[in-house]
Amino acid sequence: MTRTQIIVIRLVLLALVLGAWEGLPRAGIINPLLLPPLSDVLVMLVDLIRRPMVQEAVAVTALEVIVAFIIAVPIGAAAGILIAENEYIGDICKPMLFYVFSIPKSIFLPMFILVFGIGFQQKVAYAAFTTAFVVLMSAAAAVESVRSDHIMVARSYGATKTQILFRVYVPSMLPILLEALRIAMIFNFTGVMIAEMYASRTGIGHLIANWGENFQMPQLFAGVIVLSAVAIVFNEAVRALEAKCSTWRT
Amino acid sequence: MQHLANVSQLRAQAGEAAIEVEGLSHTYAGANGSVPALVDISLSVRKGRFVVIVGPSGCGKTSLLMMLAGLRQQTDGAILCHGQPMPKPDPERVGVIFQEASLFPWLTTLDNIEFPLSLRGTSREERRRRSQAMLSLVGLEGFGERYPHELSGGMKQRVSIARGLVQDPPVLLMDEPFAALDEQTRMTMGHELLRIWSTTRKTVVFITHSLTEAVYLADEVLVMSARPGRIIDHIEVELPRPRTYEMMATDVFGRLRDRIWQQIRKTA
Amino acid sequence: MRRPDPAAVRWMILAALLVLWEVVPLTGALPELFLPSLSKTLTVLYIDRHIYFAALLVTLYEVALSMLIACGLGILIGALVGGLAMLRELLLPVFSSLYAVPIVILYPVFTAWFGIGSSSKIAFAGIYGFFPVMLSTAAGIRTIDPQFLLAARSMGATLPQQITRVIIPASLPTVFAGLRLGGALTIIGVVVAEMLTASAGIGYLVTLNRTILDSPRVFAAILAILVLSIAYYMLARALESRMVVWQSAGRRQQQSSSRGEPVAVPTPAAA
Repeated sequence: MTRTQIIVIRLVLLALVLGAWEGLPRAGIINPLLLPPLSDVLVMLVDLIRRPMVQEAVAVTALEVIVAFIIAVPIGAAAGILIAENEYIGDICKPMLFYVFSIPKSIFLPMFILVFGIGFQQKVAYAAFTTAFVVLMSAAAAVESVRSDHIMVARSYGATKTQILFRVYVPSMLPILLEALRIAMIFNFTGVMIAEMYASRTGIGHLIANWGENFQMPQLFAGVIVLSAVAIVFNEAVRALEAKCSTWRT
Repeated sequence: MQHLANVSQLRAQAGEAAIEVEGLSHTYAGANGSVPALVDISLSVRKGRFVVIVGPSGCGKTSLLMMLAGLRQQTDGAILCHGQPMPKPDPERVGVIFQEASLFPWLTTLDNIEFPLSLRGTSREERRRRSQAMLSLVGLEGFGERYPHELSGGMKQRVSIARGLVQDPPVLLMDEPFAALDEQTRMTMGHELLRIWSTTRKTVVFITHSLTEAVYLADEVLVMSARPGRIIDHIEVELPRPRTYEMMATDVFGRLRDRIWQQIRKTA
Repeated sequence: MRRPDPAAVRWMILAALLVLWEVVPLTGALPELFLPSLSKTLTVLYIDRHIYFAALLVTLYEVALSMLIACGLGILIGALVGGLAMLRELLLPVFSSLYAVPIVILYPVFTAWFGIGSSSKIAFAGIYGFFPVMLSTAAGIRTIDPQFLLAARSMGATLPQQITRVIIPASLPTVFAGLRLGGALTIIGVVVAEMLTASAGIGYLVTLNRTILDSPRVFAAILAILVLSIAYYMLARALESRMVVWQSAGRRQQQSSSRGEPVAVPTPAAA
């Protein structure tokens, strides 16, 4: 199938979905109180964006996301590199990581609330906590993905440790790191959302939870659309960057 | 082994061709129009002969083999195997051995060998009997309950050969079966193959890159040109059988190899 | 001094954590509110064991049903999308883009539609688990060696035989990985949902007791969830290795150079 065929078919599918979202509630086939027609949602969306309360919430959430990310990435990366480079520590920690990943980290949310109260710090701390683990895993995998024969070639030509780091490790790991950051952001965003929906008085997650509780469906769907759009756009942007950097990757 | 080649059948059809290819050509649709892959291939393989096809990479020898096996259909020309065309694979007539043994990792060695029989609903006892016989034939007695990941490359190929032989097809097609093995194993396997062949007297069509392997194994070597592939030479290998490693050092051997190489060089 | 065996070190770490859990609150270094001692937590868990047991049952029920959705649909659709080139080109990028959206924002929609009972949890956790399982299965299906099908065809296998005798056995490791992943994710999904808005279940107990500041009961619920998820993981691993002996042997060769689980396949738990 050619690229244009694929794009056309996808657009058609999208149109069908959007059409159903508009048509079915309007026709009454689906209860419009439960699923408001798409046009109503979009109108509400435009209205919401103008409200200062919403803008504030967006700003709060965005800040939490960024700060949590900035905290989580260096910590997770350092830990991941340590686990990958130090064989002994790696042997100890690696089996534990699989268990750790099976545990719902949201259960630690009450602990964060107990320590930090309800507020900015608690949400950031929780999100950073969950994200750090993902970054750790990705960093370790990235380090291990550097081919040992490449390292050996560099060493045989007398490269110093620093040179090997920057001339072999970094270029090798770059595409993986970008992908890791992308995935980490997905988890980060989710972590912030959960914290905001669970116990918070600010942020978009809180607004959405509120709208849900009060059956304000148009607002709720508007919020979902905006958040989804932001998440997808960011994801695709990083993907495009990844593709640019990894032309050499098989 | 009652299912080995029927002697009376052999006598009746003595001298008849096991495989006949008449004016075979094949083109496929490429990015910029049709691409000829094979041009006007005609050949005839007598029963019980060991024929080797050599040629440069991409000359179409694998495609030709796939067509002989019924796995692909040619665009032009006819293929007859024991007098019948090959519209689809017929493992009772033609056994195929690929470069990759492709043993199913979830089955034991014996189960792998039995696999073609189990597709046809042969009884359990009959399957076991024949697969055990094949296991012995390829020299792997005692390894029946092992899994493929426990076997070496050479052993896996032996199992693959056993699987190809289990339905006792009169014809065996082999596409560079030893290419993935190291040279020492290759030589041993080549020798083993000749032993198995002389016991069962199948018709064998064998593809290889290796000129040494070709001369060592073959009754007759067919040399193919670069794409589009055509047969540019038939070379009778008049070395006595059974073949020995020492023959590789003889003048005759060297000249045959050289002749093949010269032919291939001209076309590349 | 010889370095102790890594497995032993892990047990020591676990033991140390348990000891700290007991000792630190008792010494007053951390207020009991933040971290009740282990003994208190276990005592409370024992006293209220009926409550916790009932809650666990609710949670397990929800997990089971959402696993059906996540794994059932996920593996089926993943196999189709991964196996059929046309579907794969068309849909796989779409699905992996959708994966970027935090599914949790849909949960209020489900509570609005289905109420705060089990249905909303099942719907949410089902979808939460669906995407990663689907993506993982789609990726796994493609690791099946195409040579297998060629060999089967050359042996005269019909199409149904190719599917039942080759494709299905060859995809078992992928299916089992999908089941393990799906189970872990649905447990997480159900727990998150129960913590957010619920009237029953172990996650609900966490939230309930937190709002009344009953820390020992909060931690008892947390402990129950920890045990549940670890137990599930161990069970899934044990089943997987029993069923798929031959594949783990093949994988062993790869593990010397990389982890068992590739980064590209989304691992469980943002939550």
